[in-house]
Amino acid sequence: MSGEDCDAFDRGDNDGQKPDKMFTLKKWNAVAMWSWDVECDTCAICRVQVMDACLRCQGESKKDSYGKQDCVVVWGECNHSFHFCCMSLWVKQNNRCPLCQQEWSIQRMGK
Amino acid sequence: MLKDKGQVTFEDKWPAMRPIVLKLLKQETVTQTEWQDLFGSVHSVCLWDERGPYKLRDALQQDIMMYIKQAQNRVLAQREDQALLKAYIAEWGKFFTQCNYLPTPFRQLENSINNVSKVSSSNTSSTQKKNNNNNIEDSLVRKLMLDSWNQSIFMDIKQRLQDSAMKLVQAERNGESFDSQLVIGVRESYVNLCSNSVDKLQIYRENFEAAYMQATEEFYKLKASEQLLANGVQSYMKYADQRLKEEEARAHRYLEPGSGSVAALTQCCEKVLIGEHLPTLLAESAPLIKAGETEKLQLMFRLLDRVPEGVTPILRDLEAHIVSAGLADMVASADIITSDSEKYVERLLDLFKRFSSLAKDAFLDDPRFLTARDKAYKCVVNDTTVFKLELPSSALIRGSKGTAPESKCPELLANYCDMLLRKTPLSKRLTSEQIESRLRDVLLVLKYIENKDVFMRYHKAHLTRRLILDSSADSEKEEDMVEWLREVGMPADYVNKLARMFQDIKVSEDLNTQFRTDTTRHDAINIKILNAGAWARGSERVTVSLPLELEDYIPEVEEFYKKKHSGRKLQWYHHMSNGTITFANSVGRFDLDVTTFQMAVLFAWNQRPMEKISYENLRLATELPDPELRRTLWSLVAFPKLKRQLLCHEPVVQNPKDFTENTTFWVNQEFALVKNGKPQRRGKINLIGRLQLSTERSQIEDNHSIVQLRILRTQEAIIKILKMRKRITNTALQSELVEILKNMFLPSKKMIKEQLEWLIEHKYMRRDDEDINTFIYMA
Repeated sequence: MSGEDCDAFDRGDNDGQKPDKMFTLKKWNAVAMWSWDVECDTCAICRVQVMDACLRCQGESKKDSYGKQDCVVVWGECNHSFHFCCMSLWVKQNNRCPLCQQEWSIQRMGK
Repeated sequence: MLKDKGQVTFEDKWPAMRPIVLKLLKQETVTQTEWQDLFGSVHSVCLWDERGPYKLRDALQQDIMMYIKQAQNRVLAQREDQALLKAYIAEWGKFFTQCNYLPTPFRQLENSINNVSKVSSSNTSSTQKKNNNNNIEDSLVRKLMLDSWNQSIFMDIKQRLQDSAMKLVQAERNGESFDSQLVIGVRESYVNLCSNSVDKLQIYRENFEAAYMQATEEFYKLKASEQLLANGVQSYMKYADQRLKEEEARAHRYLEPGSGSVAALTQCCEKVLIGEHLPTLLAESAPLIKAGETEKLQLMFRLLDRVPEGVTPILRDLEAHIVSAGLADMVASADIITSDSEKYVERLLDLFKRFSSLAKDAFLDDPRFLTARDKAYKCVVNDTTVFKLELPSSALIRGSKGTAPESKCPELLANYCDMLLRKTPLSKRLTSEQIESRLRDVLLVLKYIENKDVFMRYHKAHLTRRLILDSSADSEKEEDMVEWLREVGMPADYVNKLARMFQDIKVSEDLNTQFRTDTTRHDAINIKILNAGAWARGSERVTVSLPLELEDYIPEVEEFYKKKHSGRKLQWYHHMSNGTITFANSVGRFDLDVTTFQMAVLFAWNQRPMEKISYENLRLATELPDPELRRTLWSLVAFPKLKRQLLCHEPVVQNPKDFTENTTFWVNQEFALVKNGKPQRRGKINLIGRLQLSTERSQIEDNHSIVQLRILRTQEAIIKILKMRKRITNTALQSELVEILKNMFLPSKKMIKEQLEWLIEHKYMRRDDEDINTFIYMA
């Protein structure tokens, strides 16, 4: 047991960066998940989770590169959210939010 | 009418014709003039004498009969069988040749008679006309000749002829040789004698063929039992096989080709030699299969396949053998294979190869045997005696009780797959081709797995780990594997999700590059920001208090991300994140690959390097939930690969569950990597082990989620079928259901029943009032 070494430890080898730490960070691989910031997980129009592409896009994208991120989410002024694809078809017939019947106007789009 | 001038009568002409006819019958030489005169005379008689044709015919018949009588005497003079046959064949040969010549000059005669009888509308004549008048075979004279032969000589001696011929055949069977032409000659006479134009082979079939068959059958009835008794089944099979071949060849020689006789005879032989001894022969099949006697089995297969239902019992024997041998093998090596997925999968493949080669060598890859192999192998793969995966049964969720054990095979198969795709000693040892062929093997076994959804779940978890830790051995092979899974029919939504993970990781890599160029000082951090929908739906996050060094990065990353995207929220998955730290002590400096949790624990010592810290204080410092902290600490005090551990603890415990609040931990200042028994001053070690994707609690939830998903899939499929069929019987529904779901899992009868009840209760469908086993869709 060489208890007296404890002070000297590491100093000689270190390049001077954080010389007093026993553990130093070299690399951190941080993982996070993103999801749409929505109140309801499911698009009320196509009944698919908003994190997945809408039904129509799933059908079309079967052949070309799957998992394209093109099927984004749209928020109305009423704060209800849907797939942008689903909503743009919906407003052609009825310019109201399918959930609250308020007149539909886009508050923001997912990106 | 025409009784005056120049007319020629039969009586005038016949005296001159007769000698020529006789000469012809006796096959004596006839000059060209005589031959031509005969034509002329027939012609004039038929033309001028009204009764001429009939008189001519009668006279001809008389002479033919006379000739035949002589021939008969010559033949019957022979007493001995062979001589009799010889004489008969000689006489017949001569006569038969004549049948082709003699009618020619008399064609005119036929026309005259036919024309008359046509008026009186005789059936035979009209058929004859249709059948082309000029055809010798249909000629009247020829018929006359053959009929006469048939009635006089043939009827008298046919029994003797037949008996003699059969005696000869018998003698040949017993190994004596003789002039095969004798039997063939008799047969030919039978065939050619027949003048029945509808069934030309009638006489042959009723006499010769029948006698031949009977003799054969009697012969082998006796012989087969004798052989079987004397030499046992195995040599009997050889005998039977050889005899069948012999008899077939013999039949080709002695029976009329094209008459179907050969096939009939073969069938007869098969019946006597095989069919009647079927149970005795079959008793031998199981022992032979067990002993792997491929040659003998091949022989047995060849023999028994000739008779109806002969092969079915062998199929059963093969199936039983595979199941019992396969399971016995598994049970015998249970110790190794339950813990080592590589060994287990190799064992399984080994069994598969063994059974396949048995099916190939013994049964020539006959489709029926391949099906039997598949069926039995499926039993072995999905067996639960050696080990099982306990899934809560669907009942548990819906309120009743009971568990449904399942084979652990899908899990181990996924583990093996991971070993091949990850950077491991195994994958480093193998060439790219070897890895590919082993992955193909995995897919082969996968085909037999009933619960593919379990495999999918484990495979996805492994893939997640590989992608997050960048530990794939070969990214091309990774993507190939996804396509192969698609090829073998794994459900599209599952395969698409895997493909989406690859896509997403690439998007994230681009983002990371941007992050690092936008903010130059961050070369110590890599970020992976992934689509929660593709990666982590439903999995629970674990809170942890990050060391300051890490905590500092978080706002910067979030700021950066907000600039790139909008409408998104970020959740940090610290249980997945990881990194490399440098540890310096008196021995040297070491790079450690660690999880973020391990980092959080270790960094607690940075402020007080030499102190002993209690479990409770570590918990306060890291804020990790109890199970996670225990697990993390255990990985630092008892990492399997290390000779000297990073942390020491007191009191020493054997199990992470035994850590108490007062257990103390301190950094091992003697820590070093040991190589060849010597401590090293530098080195790198990976302490991550298997990256944890979920907490203990969420693992139980995961198992539940499999069951839950199965329930939904079953309901979905039932509704799909009912929507299409409107009404369907229970049995039909069950089989369609299995067909739809088999690429995910095999629905148990119990689960189907429960889901049917649930759907009925919720008015999606109902039972038919008249038939309780028929379901009706309710919109």
